[in-house]
Amino acid sequence: MKTAITIILAASMFLGFVTLPADVITMKGSDTMVILAQRWAEIYMAKHPGVTIQVTGGGSGVGISALINGTTDICNASRPMKKSEVDKLKARFNVLGVEIKAARDGLAIYVNEANPVKELTLDQVRRIYTGAITNWKDVGGPDAKILIYGRENSSGTYVYFKDNVLMGDDFSPMTQTMPGTAAVVNAVSKDKLGIGYGGAAYAKGIKYAKVKADSDTPGYEPTEENVKSGKYPIARYLYLYTRNRPTGAMKEFVDWILSQEGQQIVTKVGYFPVK
Amino acid sequence: MKSLISAVLVCFGLTAFAQEKDSTLENLQHRVTELKEQTDGLSEQLLALTPVVDALKKIKISGYIQSQYQVGEGDGIGSLAGGNFAAGVHSRYQVRRGRVKVNYDNDLTQYVLQIDVTPGGVAIKDAYASLKEPWLRTFGLTAGVFDRPFGFEISYSSSNRESPERSRVFQTLFPGERDMGAKLEIAPPETSPLSWFSFKGGFFTGMGPTAQENDNNKDFIGRAGFALQMQDAGLAIDGGVSMYLGKVRSNQRAIYRMDGSSKAFSFDSSASNIGSYFDRNYIGADVQVYYELPVLGGMTLRGEYISGKQPGTGGNSTTTNYSSFYNAAGTPLYQRDFSGFYVNYVQNVGLSDQFVLKYDVFTPNTEVSSGDIGAATPSGRIALTAGDLAFATLGIGWVHHWDSNVKFTFYYDMVTNEKVNANAPAALNAFKEDIKDNVLTVRVQYKF
Repeated sequence: MKTAITIILAASMFLGFVTLPADVITMKGSDTMVILAQRWAEIYMAKHPGVTIQVTGGGSGVGISALINGTTDICNASRPMKKSEVDKLKARFNVLGVEIKAARDGLAIYVNEANPVKELTLDQVRRIYTGAITNWKDVGGPDAKILIYGRENSSGTYVYFKDNVLMGDDFSPMTQTMPGTAAVVNAVSKDKLGIGYGGAAYAKGIKYAKVKADSDTPGYEPTEENVKSGKYPIARYLYLYTRNRPTGAMKEFVDWILSQEGQQIVTKVGYFPVK
Repeated sequence: MKSLISAVLVCFGLTAFAQEKDSTLENLQHRVTELKEQTDGLSEQLLALTPVVDALKKIKISGYIQSQYQVGEGDGIGSLAGGNFAAGVHSRYQVRRGRVKVNYDNDLTQYVLQIDVTPGGVAIKDAYASLKEPWLRTFGLTAGVFDRPFGFEISYSSSNRESPERSRVFQTLFPGERDMGAKLEIAPPETSPLSWFSFKGGFFTGMGPTAQENDNNKDFIGRAGFALQMQDAGLAIDGGVSMYLGKVRSNQRAIYRMDGSSKAFSFDSSASNIGSYFDRNYIGADVQVYYELPVLGGMTLRGEYISGKQPGTGGNSTTTNYSSFYNAAGTPLYQRDFSGFYVNYVQNVGLSDQFVLKYDVFTPNTEVSSGDIGAATPSGRIALTAGDLAFATLGIGWVHHWDSNVKFTFYYDMVTNEKVNANAPAALNAFKEDIKDNVLTVRVQYKF
């Protein structure tokens, strides 16, 4: 008995308590948030030279996996964690994870600048992306095939769009999968018949289609005012997730993100502050 | 004259420069066109490859290997910490588990095959198909060989479990964890107000994953569960109640039933016993609490209690003996009421370490206590056996996660058995004291 306990304690002392340097913070996850997270990191590091913040993308799903595997400190996610993901955190770390709402975003519907279609109802967007509507003339556009662009399934934007716009239905098999929101915007900007979705901060070379909750309500663009007032129907939070309650350098960084200064960066990048 | 020559030279120079510039531009345009063609070609290849990659993404291969070194307190001891030690042996290496799992996940339908490859041989662990209806995404059906839907510890993966083995009560009642059958699952989606509720229940052979069906009776196994999360408080409470309603057929005349008043078995040799069914009924409750302690980190406290009626043999209550009851010349059936429970505390320490404390008790015969076993048996009654002794195990351990693939487990099982009556016959002498059967396990696991 004594021998066994001695071995267990010795092994614990040998292997245990190995910790990373406290002031290196890793952030991983949402591609939608990668520019925002980089701005936060750059400005924070400039003001706090002793802190190193490493930011990488890959998608919300990738970030959440990294949080579960213990390979990132903060996960950036453009969707809430799923129950199955929380269960994995519970199994490995016995925690639920800490959810921090860091910004708001209106999930924009992009169309080419030359496209005469100005607004779409949520139902029309759903039917376009599920393949029920395949021609622009069915939504007030030219008689031409709709080319739909979307995201990979590791993307939080993909999951949010599927759950909240497609109401759980599958994407049309004709959806062309792009590796990031910037790639979706780029594709739609070059394709007169294209349609895409993504964060409101990425709109360059394309235009937003106004989105109507239903055919009887007016259409709205994903502006701060419309997102905050709830008029824009596909608004979402952008999240930071940590395994445990943040402490030390990580807490200071998270507090700074939620401060006026951190939230001003949210606005500058093109998203909307939570406060 | 000099000016004229200079002017001519400058003109030639400019012309040459202009020609060179034109040529460079032309080359650049040519190069850009080439690159665009290459990019277009790559895009076409990518488009062609995308469906192939998407199809391949549905195939998930995972697995883990657990290699361990164990030291027992005595030679050749009986143990549930990975099986009995060989005669004369008290230390050993083992490949405890070597799992490979292939999962084809087509969103609403799934194919799963899992095998266990160890030096002891190859065994099928899981082989099932499951599907979920597309409308409410709430009801699912699974058929094949898979975990029995009872309690928590059965379905808690051995790769995640902090203690090396499951509790004695589960190893006795549900050896191998799996059974062959079909189950219905109700799991409302996260958007539903009923998402906290779940139900799994179905009908099974009752014979385990590999034994052949040899009667027409099917056992019902089911669990109704809840999962409550208080995110702001960092607290989660999960739990459920489970039920096993089954029967075991015996093709023998001899049946032993426990007689609580005489603290011994009654013997029934009626011819009508041949082909009769005997109850195998359990009821259980489980709860798991998760909470984050300041400074230390996440902790969990899990507990589970089961009681019921279990057909077994004279020597033990384990479920694996059932095939012998069908054999007219096999080991006869003993019917006992049992109970068992475990409490398990796991404390995360930092990012990589976990402290583990576990206590479990299995009482195979709730109608007797330690002094009854080995005591004089009333006339006409059959004596209790070592199979009626209760066992308690206190486990203490440390788990270190080396990285996301590798973890080390250091764990010490302290096993205590009930002691028999001081006047017990020689066959029970070993149980007059606590048997020296503690086990130290040092395990490394690689999981991918």
